[in-house]
Amino acid sequence: MSVTYNFGFMDEHAKKEVRRSILKAISIPGYQVPYSSREMPMGRGFGTGGLQITLSLIGADETLKVIDQGSDDSVNAVNLRQFVELTCPGVNTTTHLNEATLIQSRHRIPEVPLTPNQTLVLQVPYPDPLVVVEPSEDKRKVMHGEADYARLLVKLYEDIVKFDEITISHRYPTRINGHYVIDPSPIPRWDVPKLHNSPALILFGAGREKKIYAVPPHTKAEPLAFDDVPFRVESFNDAQGNRRPCERCGATDSFLDEYINEDGSKRYQCSDSDYCDTVLAETKEAANA
Amino acid sequence: MSNLATAIPTIWQPHTQQHAYRQLMQAFANPGQIEALSEDALLLTLATLLDGATSIADVHGLISALDLARLETANEPAETAHFVLADGAQAPVFTPSLGTLESPEGGATLLLTVTAFNDGASYTLSGPGVDGARNVTLQGLNPAWLDSRESWNAAFPMGVDIVLLAGKQVMALPRTTRIKGA
Ligand SMILES: [Zn+2]
Repeated sequence: MSVTYNFGFMDEHAKKEVRRSILKAISIPGYQVPYSSREMPMGRGFGTGGLQITLSLIGADETLKVIDQGSDDSVNAVNLRQFVELTCPGVNTTTHLNEATLIQSRHRIPEVPLTPNQTLVLQVPYPDPLVVVEPSEDKRKVMHGEADYARLLVKLYEDIVKFDEITISHRYPTRINGHYVIDPSPIPRWDVPKLHNSPALILFGAGREKKIYAVPPHTKAEPLAFDDVPFRVESFNDAQGNRRPCERCGATDSFLDEYINEDGSKRYQCSDSDYCDTVLAETKEAANA
Repeated sequence: MSNLATAIPTIWQPHTQQHAYRQLMQAFANPGQIEALSEDALLLTLATLLDGATSIADVHGLISALDLARLETANEPAETAHFVLADGAQAPVFTPSLGTLESPEGGATLLLTVTAFNDGASYTLSGPGVDGARNVTLQGLNPAWLDSRESWNAAFPMGVDIVLLAGKQVMALPRTTRIKGA
């Protein structure tokens, strides 16, 4: 028995709605465009918002890369990649960033800068940064429209008073094009500067909350900060103040994941597995030259 | 013997529209950048973006009754339609939907036919999607459109987004794009 799917699983009307929403999202940078998120054959929370964008964009001449927390090989990334392979015959998939035309990711933006011909789709669990200060969506929509983020800034500042620094590790509120503040999805602070003046279009899909938003290329993206407490990315320095290298490839310019060895000691390795592989291959090549 | 896939004109096939959409998306993400579509830009853009969930005002009667029926879209006045199709050579005599502060995506998408992008009046674009500044030339666009656009887009986030259509080519001017005359 064979089951025939429409190319890209979704019907053409559903794709058209997502496509129209994306054009409005690009035209109003950072604004959460509502759309009627469809049921997908996996639970919401498994990247269905990102997946609906990917399936609405993808064509037979596409090369797709799927990343989950920096890795192409995690169960979530493999499942999403296999779903696309099943429903989009002719589409190529890759783990190499430089081969990809479309990249769907959760929790990370690749270390190597994207190119203008690539599009990054980020999966978003919680799209609205104002939820922490305002429960009513109607009121939040007015606040966003007026770019009224006074209460959000007060909340951030309370954090600073309590902990002496901004403690947000992921989902750092970021102002786009001087107006809307977005939840940039659960990327670490390390990745937030990559949103600013990006060479590539970045799209955000929240399936459960039924929202799509965008950071167009070459657009201002400013993490919220204060004069006395500037925004800082994570530090990977050791106790002596030296930058820790990745234990596998030796890179000193990547976001590192921390692992605990059996003896209790700590080990640091690139979170972006494709970047780690690339640096490792270059190091070997240089050694053999 | 008839083959369904070949019987449907390419413009109405999902693969053609997927490809055209990606070019339209690139056009919106890079205001002023010219994208050359595979078919007539007017009809292919409509076929790619419209369906029964949308409405259109065909101000100057640029689409045939047959194509309009194929789009399965609703006719609406230019003041309320999601998409407004007009001859860019003629000055606008209406105010399109601008959306609201809470729902600015309700601002209309204007589809304007022009003569060419390689000749005519020069403009300098800046804003999101433009790395610094981008120079464009527009032939066959009545300057009144740009004057009206200024006032329609004066209160961001409300405003209109424009797609210019010249033969097979398209260029997008989202509401965030700043346009300076030469
Ligand atoms: Zn590494």
